[in-house]
Amino acid sequence: MNIVVVATALFSVGLYGVLTRRDLIAVLASVEVMLGGASVLLVGLARTIDMPATQLPGGVESVGVLIVVLAAAEAAVALAVVIAAARALSTSRVDEMTEVGG
Amino acid sequence: MNDTIVQIMWWVLAAGALAGAVTVVFSRDVLRMALGLGGFLVALAGFYMYYALPFLATVQVFVYVGGVLVLILFGIMLVHRSEGDARPGLSSRHDPGSAAVAVGILALVTSMLWPLRDVMTERPASAGTKAIADLLLGDLLPHFEAAGALLLIALVAVIVIAGGDDR
Repeated sequence: MNIVVVATALFSVGLYGVLTRRDLIAVLASVEVMLGGASVLLVGLARTIDMPATQLPGGVESVGVLIVVLAAAEAAVALAVVIAAARALSTSRVDEMTEVGG
Repeated sequence: MNDTIVQIMWWVLAAGALAGAVTVVFSRDVLRMALGLGGFLVALAGFYMYYALPFLATVQVFVYVGGVLVLILFGIMLVHRSEGDARPGLSSRHDPGSAAVAVGILALVTSMLWPLRDVMTERPASAGTKAIADLLLGDLLPHFEAAGALLLIALVAVIVIAGGDDR
């Protein structure tokens, strides 16, 4: 049960960072913390709950690898967006980005 | 005795992960934040090892610590221009509303998952990489191919988005 509390605490800390950080890179790092907390919760629950789906050999690891791949793609695209936004608007602070345009 | 050491290791991992997460969220120094994120990601790899998932722990270290963290360091280099010798600082806007949302999510998820404590068991042993290969290249082949296609699309998207203005 400890893993549920710790993983959810990690997710909550990351969520607090997303809500309060002003710098885009720091927001992105906080999103990574949220994602890490969610994956630890998934893996921890899948390894400790006795269900047919979680007892499939290699099942948890396969899903975990797919999650890591998705997270890597997400981080790369998000960082490209951050760099493009910082270059276009000459700032990386979210509270100074007040205009949206095409 | 052995179980006690494993339990202590689990708590060390939990403390390390939480310390890294708190550093990411509260640190004002941009490099300290990146270091905190690195510690957090390594602690996650330790959790995967604890739950007998050595292949996932290896992937975590290679892709996250070796790839995503370096990517974020590159982002810091490109976005933050330091003035003089001082390292660029990060600011936050701490307010009770955000803290209430975070604590509320913590309480909600924990209370929803609390009944699971009755069905939790001991952790099983690792299945080995052959079982993972059989699954990923067998039943999960569509997912595996979709992940590969997604990586390719992400690669093209990154080049298009951050490619510069001289197009």
